[in-house]
Amino acid sequence: MGAAPASRDVTSYGMGLAAPLALFFLIFFVAPLLQLFWLSLHNDTAGLHWGLGQYLHFLTDPFSLGVLGSTLLLGAEVTAVCLVLGFPIAWLYQRVGPKLQTIIILIVLLPLLTSVVVRTFAWIVILGRQGIINATLQSLGVIDTPLKLLYTQFGVVIALAQVQMPLMTLPLITALGRIDPNLDDASCSLGAGSWRTFFRIVLPLSLPGVIAGCTLTYAAAITAFITQSLVGGGQMLFMPMYLYQQASTLQNWPFAAAISIIFLLAVLAVVSVFTTLGRLSRGYGGA
Amino acid sequence: MIMNRRSLLTTALTLGAMKAFPGLSYAQARPLVFATFTGSWEEAHKAVLVPAFRKANADAAMVLDPMLSVDQIAKVNAAKANPPIDVMLHDPGPALVAIGQDLVEPYPVEKSAYYKDLIAEAQEPMGPAPFFQVVGLTYNPEAVKTPPTSWADLWKPEFKGRVGITNLNSTLGTGWLVEIAKMRGGSEANVDPGFKALEELKPNLAAVAANPGALATLFQQGQIDISPGNFNAIQILKARGVPVEFVAPKEGAIAFKTTIHVVKNSPNRELAFKLIEAALMPEVQTTLMNPPYLIVPTNSKVTMGGEIARVLAKDTAELKKKFVFQDWKKINEQRSAWIERFNREIKI
Repeated sequence: MGAAPASRDVTSYGMGLAAPLALFFLIFFVAPLLQLFWLSLHNDTAGLHWGLGQYLHFLTDPFSLGVLGSTLLLGAEVTAVCLVLGFPIAWLYQRVGPKLQTIIILIVLLPLLTSVVVRTFAWIVILGRQGIINATLQSLGVIDTPLKLLYTQFGVVIALAQVQMPLMTLPLITALGRIDPNLDDASCSLGAGSWRTFFRIVLPLSLPGVIAGCTLTYAAAITAFITQSLVGGGQMLFMPMYLYQQASTLQNWPFAAAISIIFLLAVLAVVSVFTTLGRLSRGYGGA
Repeated sequence: MIMNRRSLLTTALTLGAMKAFPGLSYAQARPLVFATFTGSWEEAHKAVLVPAFRKANADAAMVLDPMLSVDQIAKVNAAKANPPIDVMLHDPGPALVAIGQDLVEPYPVEKSAYYKDLIAEAQEPMGPAPFFQVVGLTYNPEAVKTPPTSWADLWKPEFKGRVGITNLNSTLGTGWLVEIAKMRGGSEANVDPGFKALEELKPNLAAVAANPGALATLFQQGQIDISPGNFNAIQILKARGVPVEFVAPKEGAIAFKTTIHVVKNSPNRELAFKLIEAALMPEVQTTLMNPPYLIVPTNSKVTMGGEIARVLAKDTAELKKKFVFQDWKKINEQRSAWIERFNREIKI
């Protein structure tokens, strides 16, 4: 035990309390990640020959790049849908009484209380040929033959948007709650219309929440193996399934490892764009 | 010995860890571990195989640790000298991988009381097959009035947008593609005709499921009316009231040997052998053949009965005639190239 310094600097914090968690991450996250990276630097499945062959294979193969592109695009689509649908809910939350607030928060949280598998199966029931949407449209006479909704990109986006919605709505609710309601009134009394107030006051001030929500939703949507494979089916290939196929079915671990590293870097790139935007927006909001 | 606070803490932590993870203290004397498959296999083995094994071996301790074939291989690979599993269960593809990586021991055939009674296809010296998985045509009898009789029926115009298949990740998907190729003049070494046939099937395809389990959901939802399907999976659906029927096509139902292996360097080698013996016993196989399990037996002393006798085969002789076995050694050689090709070509 070292002796305590005579005068303690009250502005600095000891990192000792974070050590257990840091150690946990070091053993169960950093070490496996390094092992994964090490594995990806081998040209053969037995892991004997060093080389960058796996990365070259992925980066020169239009098909693999296509899978990466469509996965990143899927994330963008889901995030956009979540943002457009989630923002009004968060906005409404700040403008209703406490009773309705409880109901809204319950509705927002409800999906988190059921398993992703259950939620996804519900979407199969909704989107299927004899599902709720097709049955309703057919009984109204809008369509003759059932629409193909399941196993399409549209189906995956809609299902993922619902499944990941709480990740968008919760940060938005927090961010909107921090905005002083007087600012709205001030804006209106100075002659701005509702839309102008929204775009010039509410939206900029809620940007930190928007960024946080987008980052969470995006990361969750592109890695959602279960929903992607159950609603998207076997012929729509996204990165998680591609990875699974190589690792599990083909036992090609070095290539699977390379795919994971590339996917990780791609996601980090997107997330860092979000974070940069977030930093910029903080400057903007504070100005 | 000087006791300070730090050494006291270390001792307390060690004792705590030994309490929390008893595996640390007596790694040598662990019970027999059988890595079966998850789901209905686990249920069947827990209810029938484990009690039979215990009864024959003075209540020897054993645990079921259900996991996928690939996970079994990974776990044993990670600790070859002291494997955490004693008995593995594998589909034909992974079985060859496990044998190729030198993870399993040859089965002590000469000691075995039941090995010689197995039908010839199930006698695998590196690990016998305690049961078969059978793939045939599955259809919804409410929508499909005349039962299909051949794989070729999937291409009929009346099934436009009604056919479901799985991708090649599964043993079922790959085995089916090989069978289609064979039907059109191909073989395990040449599946080009199969891919051509898939191209022609596209107008009929309603879904390419990510795994065979997802096909079941698609039947339930009316998304598909006909597909290649696993006999056992269909029986489970049927028992739950889903309108599905299984039929063996006239080209022959595809049979996969599910093999059971003693893991190399297992500390429980003798008990592992005894467990496999129990799995080959006619009594155990008979119980597993009856409802609700309906697992296809491999011991020729088992008299076929019930649903298996009705839709598959009345006896071993008929079973041999109606089942098609595939050369998975050949299939494994090119499987990754096929998966890649399927990824690229099959977009609906």
